[in-house]
Amino acid sequence: MRLNKEHNLPGTLICVEGIDGSGKSTQLSILKDWLISLGQDVIFTEWNSSNLICQTTKQAKKKNMLSPRTFSLLHAVDFADRLGQIIVPAMKAGFIVLADRYAYTAFARDVARNVDPQWVRNMYGFAIQPDLAVYFKVPVEVSLERICSNRQPKFYEAGMDMKLSPDPYVSYKIFQGRVINEYDKMRDEFGLVKIDATESIHQQQLKFRELVKDVLLKKGIELNEG
Amino acid sequence: MKDKINTKHGYPGLLVVIEGTDGSGKTTQINLLKSWIEKQCYGVIVSEWKSSELIASVIDTAKERNLLNANTFSLMYASDFAHRLENTIIPALKSGFVVLLDRYTYTAFARDVVRGVKPKWVRKLYDFAPEPDLVFYLEQPVDVLLKRIIASKGLDYYESGRDIGLSTDFYESFKIYQSKILDEYDQMKEKHHFITLDGTQPIENVQEKMRDEVAKLLAKGSLS
Repeated sequence: MRLNKEHNLPGTLICVEGIDGSGKSTQLSILKDWLISLGQDVIFTEWNSSNLICQTTKQAKKKNMLSPRTFSLLHAVDFADRLGQIIVPAMKAGFIVLADRYAYTAFARDVARNVDPQWVRNMYGFAIQPDLAVYFKVPVEVSLERICSNRQPKFYEAGMDMKLSPDPYVSYKIFQGRVINEYDKMRDEFGLVKIDATESIHQQQLKFRELVKDVLLKKGIELNEG
Repeated sequence: MKDKINTKHGYPGLLVVIEGTDGSGKTTQINLLKSWIEKQCYGVIVSEWKSSELIASVIDTAKERNLLNANTFSLMYASDFAHRLENTIIPALKSGFVVLLDRYTYTAFARDVVRGVKPKWVRKLYDFAPEPDLVFYLEQPVDVLLKRIIASKGLDYYESGRDIGLSTDFYESFKIYQSKILDEYDQMKEKHHFITLDGTQPIENVQEKMRDEVAKLLAKGSLS
């Protein structure tokens, strides 16, 4: 299994990408319920959630003790653990695996932190290539409005470790702007499919379902929507 | 000032590594070397493999629960290393310390490859590590290692490679695993300019060789 090679496992791997506040988790959650309602076997996994390490990462973030390098490595640990414990077994067993963020998140965020693009791509080389990777694109202003309606941007989410600006709101815009640039570059590199995340939830979900139906059909799964 | 720096990594301090399998006698040698360097009026710090406040305890817990796959194993150690490098090793090198490292990236290159990760992958993973000024490799034949380990702390699950299912027999598994590790070290000797020390020699003889090498570097005067 390689990130740059099609897998031949029975399962289907679908991931969503996008900056915070793009609405990708909402879209994935609606998709999940729909697939389950159609009788599909679905497993969901999200970024930075492995029992092994996610508490360590959260604590270290709270203390602002992570460098771009260790930030990148800890998220890779989380990913490697979930890949081995959740994703690979589920793919072998023929599940539809829904991943809220995938290796592309690391490629976007870590490179926005000036980590070498080739270094981080090598690090995730053992990942399974998704059958579908959807990028929910939203302008940075909209994202900021959505996630910071009632709080300040957090230290790492605003890229405050990069010392781009002492103002977390300004820093957020610069940093997440860089992340968006990286995502844009990856659309060709990894075939990320863009959905305009400023559209209504309904419109986005209709498009998302069409993409998923196509992918499943290629795997020989026809959804019976009755 | 800058032209005085003649270290391999470009920092004023010295980076001295000791490699070898568990039970090869690294720790004894490093402690002796540390006292000796201090007696020469230089600043010394020691940093051990898997000792960062960030993640070392997590690695221990995960190993106890036997939860790690090869990539996860590798990445956790790389996280530990990166944290120590940035917070301990490089600051000390910048300040002109002699930094003694009990294991370095070569440990990962040996162990992780034996566990099945791709050699190129793990080398790229650690490509941010500065090149040491000296790498001592304390070599012990596998039968000596076995006796030393059995007589001291006993056979450890991971040090015996039990996690990769080499043999259900603990003793056999240790032997196969450690032989594979020794093979990996062998392949690195030349490329990484290891100074190979015969671990079966008396402690004092091994120590004397190490001191000679360190003395040569100290005589170059970048820390004076």
